[in-house]
Amino acid sequence: MIEITIDNKTVEANEGETVLQAALRNGIEIPHFCYHPCLSIAGNCRVCLVKVDGRPKLMPACNQTVAPNMVVETEAPEVQSARAAVMQFIMLNHPGDCGICDKAGECRVQEYQFKYGMAEPISIEPKHHKKKFNYLSERIVLDNERCILCSRCVRFTREVSKSAQLGIVERGSHSYVARLDAQPFDDPYSDNVLGICPTGALLSREFMYKSRVWYLEPVRSVCTRCARGCSVNVWRRKKHWYVRSLGEEKNITAYRISPLENPEINGRWICNTGFDLHKFMARPRAMAPMMAGNTVTVDEASAEANRLLAGATNPAIILSAHASNEELQAFKEKLSPRVQVYTREDYCPAEGEVVEDDLLIRADKNPNSYSVHAMFGQKAFSAAAGHDVVIVWGDQVDYTSLGNAKIIHLTSYAPEQETRADVLLPISTTFERSGTFCNFEGKTNRFEQVFDKPKLVQHASDLFGRL
Amino acid sequence: MSCLEEKFDQLRSVYPAEMNSSLVLPLLHLMLKEKGHLTESDAVFIAQYLDVPPMQVKEALTWYTMLYRQPVGKHVIKICRNIGCSLMGAERLIEYLERKLGIKEGETTADGRFTLLAVECLASCGTAPAMQIDDTYHEQLNESKIDQILKELS
Amino acid sequence: MTETRVFFNFDVTADSHTLAAYRQRGGYQALEKVLKGMQPIDVENEVKASGLRGRGGAGFPTGMKWSFVNKQSPVIYLCCNADEGEPGTFKDRWIFENTSHQLIEGMIIASYALKVRHSFIYIRGEFDLPYRRLMEALKEAKEAGLVGEKILGTEFSCDIIVHQGGGAYVCGEESSLLTSIEGFKGYPKNKPPFPAVKGLYQKPTVINNVETLATIPWILANGGATYAAIGTEKCSGTKLFGVSGHVNRPGLFEKPMGYSYKKLIYEDCGGILGGKELKAVIPGGSSTPVLLPSEIETLTMDAEAVQAAGSMLGSGGVIVIAEGTCMVRLLQVLSRFYAHESCGQCTPCREGSAWMNDIITRISRGKGVKGDLERLECITKGIMGNTVCALGDAASMPVNGFLKKFRHEFEYFIEHGRSMYDGRLEI
Repeated sequence: MIEITIDNKTVEANEGETVLQAALRNGIEIPHFCYHPCLSIAGNCRVCLVKVDGRPKLMPACNQTVAPNMVVETEAPEVQSARAAVMQFIMLNHPGDCGICDKAGECRVQEYQFKYGMAEPISIEPKHHKKKFNYLSERIVLDNERCILCSRCVRFTREVSKSAQLGIVERGSHSYVARLDAQPFDDPYSDNVLGICPTGALLSREFMYKSRVWYLEPVRSVCTRCARGCSVNVWRRKKHWYVRSLGEEKNITAYRISPLENPEINGRWICNTGFDLHKFMARPRAMAPMMAGNTVTVDEASAEANRLLAGATNPAIILSAHASNEELQAFKEKLSPRVQVYTREDYCPAEGEVVEDDLLIRADKNPNSYSVHAMFGQKAFSAAAGHDVVIVWGDQVDYTSLGNAKIIHLTSYAPEQETRADVLLPISTTFERSGTFCNFEGKTNRFEQVFDKPKLVQHASDLFGRL
Repeated sequence: MSCLEEKFDQLRSVYPAEMNSSLVLPLLHLMLKEKGHLTESDAVFIAQYLDVPPMQVKEALTWYTMLYRQPVGKHVIKICRNIGCSLMGAERLIEYLERKLGIKEGETTADGRFTLLAVECLASCGTAPAMQIDDTYHEQLNESKIDQILKELS
Repeated sequence: MTETRVFFNFDVTADSHTLAAYRQRGGYQALEKVLKGMQPIDVENEVKASGLRGRGGAGFPTGMKWSFVNKQSPVIYLCCNADEGEPGTFKDRWIFENTSHQLIEGMIIASYALKVRHSFIYIRGEFDLPYRRLMEALKEAKEAGLVGEKILGTEFSCDIIVHQGGGAYVCGEESSLLTSIEGFKGYPKNKPPFPAVKGLYQKPTVINNVETLATIPWILANGGATYAAIGTEKCSGTKLFGVSGHVNRPGLFEKPMGYSYKKLIYEDCGGILGGKELKAVIPGGSSTPVLLPSEIETLTMDAEAVQAAGSMLGSGGVIVIAEGTCMVRLLQVLSRFYAHESCGQCTPCREGSAWMNDIITRISRGKGVKGDLERLECITKGIMGNTVCALGDAASMPVNGFLKKFRHEFEYFIEHGRSMYDGRLEI
């Protein structure tokens, strides 16, 4: 630890870190576009220039290593004027079309322009135009006019996801971010560039024009698409802005998913499958209890399930690796002594999906296999064991593998094949309850409830009390 | 492209093995000589040969001005427009060449013989005005000298 | 009195660039002396004693630059900066065309002092004859055992690798040159770390200009003190000055530091074209601030004197401008150049150089408006000192210089929509 002074305040800095890092850690804001804690130092935006030890030449705080007793000024008149100049340069050919830009409200260029920019632009030249709807992939559109060439996205693909699919081509003021013409930006982590882009240059084609971000709020959740169990934010409409007439479905729409920083599990990134979590969750639901294909009341379905279980001579359950720790505990306490317990992987890698990689993606496509195995071991269902009643928990169930047993199916989603379940009980999704999962390394990760569950859907943990 | 790869291999021995990536620019130059102009697929070809990211090579291809990305004429006339040559009449000579060839700076004659480019300093300020046709420098130019030079070109 | 010459000490003939001719004028004797009788540190000390300063433009003391490198480092690189591109400069080209061996000898001596196994020459891609002459010379030198394994039968080995540029002025900036050798577009790097600590492929690297390295053999042959005795106290030796523009006999001259600009222009170059009056002098390559005739009246060609006059000795490219030249259009030629050569990496230079060019071009087309000059000054203030490399400053200094010294011409152009001098550049 060494001491440095930033704006007359003595702060502690780690040896070897930069002035910007020390400042941010101590809650002192120095504006920055190109600096990102997970990427190499580019030093190209020049908005973090500060005065060091009174020297006339300003230094980029992102590239200035701290030294004992260093004196840093972030608000000296020269610093302010250099910063304002940089904002002028940034805005010179930036379209300033915040009104139709999805990034408005969470845009760093907008924020700094407001905070550090000059009230009146100096330029009277017409703006130079660049390509606007530059489709990098099915998922991402690039607006080269809004881009400030900070190179965060480029460095992300080179240093983090390692696809190196993005670059800055051409020279000088003609430079722009590009991919190969012959290859889409199909990096399985591509959507992370949306979040690190400090302006509205890189946008999600799916989220485009769907909502102003200030109507939305993030809710902490966990991605259920693999055993990594990345922390994510699920963006829902703020209660204050609920739609009360037509379009009420907006109130229960998960608009987008973004990574939630979690140094223990996923750092600041998630994969594209994680970015699509809301789409995965929005598949057709099992909305009402059913018996032999007919809709019934919750009471009728529960009574039938109880009747089947009471009469069973050799009942079994196949656990879901999507069940939370709390649900598994509820099951263990209330039902497990009465049934033979089997486990399964609800989801297997889909065709074309990345099975496993060195960054985040795990081959086990379920969020809580770790706890299932820790609590109940690992044993695949066998029809040969002669079970007469089977409770199947979770979706993606192949009924044919269950033999002739009577089936009680607890599921969040409408079965893909016509159900032959004797009783089908809809249960809540991860978005509709709070709880925890343990990822493949045994690290516990918490998710919060995003939406209320539909009326006829029950929480699995409540169900076990009634069976 | 196998004969190209043979030429690539020859260049490879020039640089220490750990400097593989340094071959990007030499290979682009080499390929340009072979093909006249370069496209993205050429950049990808080099990237695959060197096992470096294709975007790295594409960036270089689009950044260095000597690497043509459009077909050029049989002869490329690069005439300097910078300060030393401007003071000695470069603008007049550029106009002269444009009139003579019937094209604007940056264009290629319809018969594909000449491409005319106005370029920045060629380090011929003491012998200005200067131009470079293909590789060869021509200095202390005037209209009649230009006529003579172009006449001698096949 | 015959003046000492480091370069212009032979008559250029059809074969004066060959190894035989170079040997005849004493070539490679310094190398022999160094390899067979001196320790690397002795060589460094000799260069320090000579007071030699970098000839590329910045004028940093060469010996000191060498001393920054940790010689214990397992790999050290030497790069010769031969990306000669500063408008007004054409000296390195002459060295390649006429005495490549002098550079090769200088590089091997420097490599010995710096404990370098692989050294590089980054030569600008447009150079054709210079490149061919260099390659011929290298071949000769290799065959003669002067480059490569066990040089002159000693234990010292060093290879020289020639890397051709791709057409980019900024690659003459030393860190950009390294990025370019590494196989990328030539973006300059942020400093620190400096190349002496982390340079080519993250290894300690020294980058010296062609003229600097080609001076080394003379220093080792004649002694640092002898070299230091030439020129001025703080700026020793001789230097190649290229004179271009409106003079009767433009060309390259070797002069001791401290020589008079006026003598150079009026005696060596035979005065101004057509007997016109002198209007302005750009003393050290296009980036250096322009000087008025009154300012060069007694000015001497050494770093301190030119700095005191508000400009820079730079690369020694003297651009002479005669009365009757339109300074507005001349500045536009320069602003177009810098906008074209800005690499695109950092915000102030990328946006600012293009913006300045937009404004100056508009003025030179008669569409200037009141406030344009203040706008330009505001832009240069936003660029200078705030960029990754010196190109931002290089683009700004001519603008400031022209506006300061010839403001009335700009004001006239804006007010009347036309040039005070019919837009003439040629006299």
